[in-house]
Amino acid sequence: MSGSTVKPKGPVAAALTVNAFLVYAFFFLPIVILAVFSFSDDRLVGRWGGFTTSWYGEFWNDTELTSSLWVSLRVAAVSTVISVVLGTMAALGLERFRWKSQRFFDSVLYLPIIIPDVTMAVMMLLFFTWGIDLTNEAFGTNFAKGFATITLSHIAFSISFVSVVVRARLAGMSLELEEAARDLYASRWKAFRHVTFPQIVPGIAGGALLALTLSLDDVVITQFVAGPGGTTLPVRVFSLIRKGVTPVINAVSVVMLVASLLLVALSVAVQRLRGGSITG
Amino acid sequence: MNGVAPPPAVEASPETERAALRADAWRGFLLAAPAYVYLMVFFVVPLGIVTMYSFATRNRQGGTDLQGWNLDSYARLDEPIVRTILFRSLWLAVVTTVICLVIAYPFAYFIATRRPAVRNVMLVFVMIPFWTNFLVRNYAWRVILENDGIWNDAVDATGTDTLVDWLLGLPHWIQWAIPNWIEHLPSPLFSEVGIVLGLVYGFLPFMILPLYAAIERIDLSLIEASRDLYASGRQTLRRVLIPLSMPGIVAGSILVFVPSLGAYVTPQILGGDKETLLGSYIVVQFLTARNWPFGAALSVVLVAVMLLATRIHFRSGGRAL
Amino acid sequence: MTVPEAAVALNGIIKRFGDVTAVDRVDLNIADGEFFALLGPSGCGKTTTLRMIAGLEFPTEGSLRIFGDEVGTLPPDKRPVNTVFQSYALFPHMTVIQNVAFGLRMQKVAKAEANERALEAIRLVKMDGKEARRPHQLSGGQQQRVALARALVNSPKVLLLDEPLGALDLKLRQEMQRELKTLQREVGITFVFVTHDQEEALTMSDRIGVMNDGELLQVGTPEEIYERPANRFVADFIGQTNLLDGTVESDGTVCLRNGARVPVNTQSLAAGTPVAVSLRPERAQLHQPGQQPADLPHVTGRLEQHTYLGNALVLTVALDWMTLDVRVENLSGYSAPALGTEVVVSWDRDAAVVVRA
Repeated sequence: MSGSTVKPKGPVAAALTVNAFLVYAFFFLPIVILAVFSFSDDRLVGRWGGFTTSWYGEFWNDTELTSSLWVSLRVAAVSTVISVVLGTMAALGLERFRWKSQRFFDSVLYLPIIIPDVTMAVMMLLFFTWGIDLTNEAFGTNFAKGFATITLSHIAFSISFVSVVVRARLAGMSLELEEAARDLYASRWKAFRHVTFPQIVPGIAGGALLALTLSLDDVVITQFVAGPGGTTLPVRVFSLIRKGVTPVINAVSVVMLVASLLLVALSVAVQRLRGGSITG
Repeated sequence: MNGVAPPPAVEASPETERAALRADAWRGFLLAAPAYVYLMVFFVVPLGIVTMYSFATRNRQGGTDLQGWNLDSYARLDEPIVRTILFRSLWLAVVTTVICLVIAYPFAYFIATRRPAVRNVMLVFVMIPFWTNFLVRNYAWRVILENDGIWNDAVDATGTDTLVDWLLGLPHWIQWAIPNWIEHLPSPLFSEVGIVLGLVYGFLPFMILPLYAAIERIDLSLIEASRDLYASGRQTLRRVLIPLSMPGIVAGSILVFVPSLGAYVTPQILGGDKETLLGSYIVVQFLTARNWPFGAALSVVLVAVMLLATRIHFRSGGRAL
Repeated sequence: MTVPEAAVALNGIIKRFGDVTAVDRVDLNIADGEFFALLGPSGCGKTTTLRMIAGLEFPTEGSLRIFGDEVGTLPPDKRPVNTVFQSYALFPHMTVIQNVAFGLRMQKVAKAEANERALEAIRLVKMDGKEARRPHQLSGGQQQRVALARALVNSPKVLLLDEPLGALDLKLRQEMQRELKTLQREVGITFVFVTHDQEEALTMSDRIGVMNDGELLQVGTPEEIYERPANRFVADFIGQTNLLDGTVESDGTVCLRNGARVPVNTQSLAAGTPVAVSLRPERAQLHQPGQQPADLPHVTGRLEQHTYLGNALVLTVALDWMTLDVRVENLSGYSAPALGTEVVVSWDRDAAVVVRA
């Protein structure tokens, strides 16, 4: 970018700069406002009535909310671990080998990324309703929707995201590194263990963070596959919002916001580790 | 070589080569197999079940009879109310996509032409909303737009409501130039304006990131070459920059359009009861109206639109989104 | 076996990728302790051949022996050979010494011993003092040395090098050429070296195998390859040459395209065989018309172009059906004929080589 014509000058440059500032303001003002008002001592959510932390206290004492937070964390942890393992293996199988139905699997793997939430929610609802009925009838069991169905659904969409991220990393890694390891008397497993794996760790970590975020974010799919027993925090919050907004929701939202920001910080750290660009 | 006794090997032949290739194919397949099986069971089969339900019949009790397969649910797509909902959803998704594109393109170009250090910082601040909980981000707008909230205060302070009233009170012959959505501006909550606002806010990062990736990949000396060959800034934009960043434009548009079309959370939080959209309508079929076949048919339509969009993407030379 | 065994013996080696035949029936014996270069343009199959010796690719057909043992279908970790990769392929997450000790560690050599031997190898390639560095902290030339040490530390029976100097700039490349040669003599290991640079192959190797289109065209010492190319491709690929197309006549001459007959050593080719007469620019002489030695083969043309090289001049002579380059040393007092004048190009009977077209 040595040239002078690449960066526009005059009014165009000014317009671009103003646009950039407006975009950032658009992104961050609402979040900041939300955070500020979560400390407002007023029953109306958008009104400042002095500083208080009482809404956070109320959140903490609301067993329904805290138990759903607990469900959220458990679902996120389990679904992330499983989808990272399966997604990474799939990435290796697709990126490093050639086999017959590979292209078909590739397109199947691609669908959960692009399919709208609502459709996936409907799919999982019908599948589990049907599957649970069949199983209970056939084996006299007493399965019901709940933690397991939520986790299984989250894995179903997370695998794809993990494998995309890991594949990008694998594709960027020179094949010669693995060949060099094999040439230097490493078995397939040892070549993976000592060379491939350390190289793709940032990709795996990035994929894990993405899976964690997606699991903690999901509302629609979880709402459809949750049982009467328990559900995740976002679903609980969503149904509360629909009943009417309260300052407690502000507080819960800010807690979720802080969790998101922690994950962003982690992912930025992971990108640094990769030494690559932010989007790469 | 130290201590590794080479085991007896045979001379190479097409058979040994084929066996080696086959062994390799097996390794690849076995690695992918767990995810493969998982997605077949927990994604492809559910997709099949939805398709199956869309051909089934709803019985009197609100259940579904998996027999007497028919196209009734698809026939209902032609009912006026369904058509209104479909077109409204399509329209709002298009509007959202266009607004995102118009905002994101200059923004992405701005980032792509900064110094690398500045660029990375700017990108981090795009990643933050990208990674931030979607529900929370929509809820933040709800707080802002609530009655007697910040938006109302701002509207009062700036006199926007007076301006809007004045515009709407203009004589009849000039009314055509005034878009009718501005009547919702003083109080966008529970209107289409609120929904589009929420969708743009939610999906703007999905437009910025692929656009940035596409523009960054362009050799920017091409712009200099274009200017050198007597093209004006506008001509350069139209003939060089936009064609070269087309993959990013298409990718970003799909990433915004598809989820906007199926949006459920945003309309529920920021939209009103009057403006039902496709996403909410599908949910209603399952959770309230208990018309599963019809809900399934609507979902199949949504999947079809999605597949069509990705087809366009790959046709236009795009790779993975 | 009592006969001195070839370090590497390829027998009817074929490699197909789908419909493409990358290596076509290659027979090749590389002797123990030899510095052997596989030379050819990109895509000629030389790298595939090397990779088959390394075990990174399995042959479709044929026998591949290393010191008499059939290894064609063995995986790379079971072969007594090591490779220096084109990109060096140093493990980025390991230090220099960890890289060099890797092969030993994989062979279950104890850590202390492995490190000691790795240090020795690092000294051998003059990289001592940089053991704790990471690859990205090294220059291209230094990475290359580490890659060499990493392969040599395992005392392979054969060392394979895939265009190892390709990424270096000219000066460094020439320096490394000399060093590699010295190193090879020191360790006494058979080196098989892949390159597309004919000059590199000529200066470094004991013998050269020239490949094109998957076929091994000629194997010989640099001198043999240069002086007696087996066919038109080899003559053209190695060094500069003029190729004058013609047909063998029964009387041991070659009839050129313009009908002129030149006496050459036709190497018992049958009359009527289409051939080319290969005439190196430095073996041709330029004369004014009528002043050429009487009994030498010659052709007449018009001087078309001077190319000034500093220590020499290349004069391009236009014949009526092609152009000929003649190289003249830039001795003191030499002045080339003016452009456009008629000149005669002559050569010693033995200086021109007949090759199959």
